[in-house]
Amino acid sequence: MATAPAIETRHLTKKYRNALAVCDLHLLVPRGCVTAFLGCNGAGKSTTIKMALGMVRPTAGEASVLGTRVSDIRASCRTRQRIAYVAENKPLYGYMTPEQLMRFASSFYADWRPEVAAKLLGEYALPPDRKVKSLSKGMRTKLALLLALARRPDLLILDEPSEGLDPVGIEHLLQTIAVCSAEGVTVFFSSHQIAEVERVADRICILDKGRLLLNASLDDLRESYRCIDVTFPSVPFEREFQISGVEKIRTSGRQMRVLASRNAEAVVERAQQFHAVSIDVAPVSLRDIFLQTVQEG
Amino acid sequence: MFFKLTPNAGQPLYLQLMEQIRHAVETGALRDGDLLPGIRTLAEKLVVSANTVVKAYAELEHEGLLELRQGAGAFVKLRRRSRSSPASIQNAGSLIRDLIERLRDDGLLDEEIRRAFEAELLYQRVEMRK
Amino acid sequence: MLWYKAWLETRSRFLASLCGATLIVWFFAHHAESLTLPGPRANIYTRNVVFYSHQYLMFVWILCAILLGMGGLIRERAIGASSFTLALPVSRTRLVVVRIAVGLLEAIALGVVPWVAICLIMDSYGKPVLLSQAAFYLGLLISGGLIYFALAVMTASLVENEYTAPAVAYGITILMIVLCGNIAWLRPYADLWRFMGGDNHLNKGTFFLSGPFPWSGAIAALAVTTVLLATSVWLIQHTEF
Repeated sequence: MATAPAIETRHLTKKYRNALAVCDLHLLVPRGCVTAFLGCNGAGKSTTIKMALGMVRPTAGEASVLGTRVSDIRASCRTRQRIAYVAENKPLYGYMTPEQLMRFASSFYADWRPEVAAKLLGEYALPPDRKVKSLSKGMRTKLALLLALARRPDLLILDEPSEGLDPVGIEHLLQTIAVCSAEGVTVFFSSHQIAEVERVADRICILDKGRLLLNASLDDLRESYRCIDVTFPSVPFEREFQISGVEKIRTSGRQMRVLASRNAEAVVERAQQFHAVSIDVAPVSLRDIFLQTVQEG
Repeated sequence: MFFKLTPNAGQPLYLQLMEQIRHAVETGALRDGDLLPGIRTLAEKLVVSANTVVKAYAELEHEGLLELRQGAGAFVKLRRRSRSSPASIQNAGSLIRDLIERLRDDGLLDEEIRRAFEAELLYQRVEMRK
Repeated sequence: MLWYKAWLETRSRFLASLCGATLIVWFFAHHAESLTLPGPRANIYTRNVVFYSHQYLMFVWILCAILLGMGGLIRERAIGASSFTLALPVSRTRLVVVRIAVGLLEAIALGVVPWVAICLIMDSYGKPVLLSQAAFYLGLLISGGLIYFALAVMTASLVENEYTAPAVAYGITILMIVLCGNIAWLRPYADLWRFMGGDNHLNKGTFFLSGPFPWSGAIAALAVTTVLLATSVWLIQHTEF
């Protein structure tokens, strides 16, 4: 069980009346990592998460979380004891006060840490005895985060956690994610903000129109994704550069721009064979990778 | 200790962290026996995943620059000669300074020089592999 | 703690309903002698206090029981709170059953408390109500009335809008009352309103309910309630959130 991936989906598909929300998704989220789930709005991130939590039934395929198949309703119910989830919508129960809500939540989870809850309540400056419905959106977001972060789950799932937070709140959230990872919590969080993702995440998955376009470690991306600009005396055929690892080639005049997901060395070598006048190798930012994959996909 | 990680650089964050720790040791900012911040503390401070810190510390331990003691933390260990001595680093610095000056005189922009460096380093790696 | 949540969720409705219902019976008890209502004057207390206050109580009770059946997971889905509830390590069945159970208990209390009030008030006026009469009315009210509560729960399992759901539930209730009261072949079996009001057992001379308690009718009504509630649970189990 300990080695089972945090989340694993096979052929996961969700079709709504006339739209395909998630399409044949094979997602593997390893344990012990911070994984960012990137995608534009409406890419199917929330639907995927809800399927993994058994709230939405897949049209086809299946998902397992922490080694438990979601279709096994009884076992999933027990597994939820080890998962903390902060949904995209965080209205919570308007008729409760933060204090009541904390008491309510703590009664369900064995891993509730009252001292952390009290500390977060102070840090977030939440009024303990005002009704939740009278709190601002940012405060409700903080409260929802508190309810998840006061626990020490095996898996923390955050769906667009920074929505409605100010920059200070976002920084605090990211710090908390970093601390969670130090405590051995597997973190899976969806976002459409690249800046949030690129520091704290170990891995990223990019989802677009319900399809998984990329699932890689950020270290690998940083190390191997390169944009290589080459100037030739006379430009060779693009096909000469279609070697493994090359994602995209564009030619303009005597210049060629090659996007390589790996194997940049081979591209440089090939360029030198064609007597390149200048070779520029530049790292590609996550933003560029995201935009390139999403626009092509 | 101050560290500065740039997510946009084409280098994994753990490598950046390793280099900065190495640099701190080489410049004497960190001395033999100094205690580095704990994994949790550093991860929180740098807002990076704990794995980044763990990986950097582990690699540096492998290199012999750090000693990880269970429960106590990561200590700087300078028994062996560090990989590049301060003298050779200083020497490299002046060599590169001269080269950059010459390239600037030739009309190259800093950005072009930087990229040329990177391309050559990459090329060297290819050559070495052969 | 689910009980606590369901209680917090419904308590304002429940307490308001309870006040309303108790006020009505108090009004009837207090003004028993000055009210001019159809029927012989012989047993004015039995007639005005017991029979007529029951008729009005019944009306208010149905109104409130439907409100108590509103809410729940589908409503939470509309607001967005269901993701929190469903992430709890609790089965959907338990979530729904606890919510229904709290509603049922509140609906029952909404019948018991006003009747206790009638008995106490009349006692203090020196005109005690026969406990057997009170129990008879209460039995009719609750066994029959819970169908409306169950109907409301089912409506709330299908319709998520805060206002549409009660509107639909009230619509169905009014339609049921009108149809069952006016279609000749349905009347003997399905006239819940008459059943609950005790009209079938009323002695028009003394205004006492007479004869044995209609156990078969009560059990049939409770069976329908059970089926409706079970259907609601099934519906929620098969809903997407």
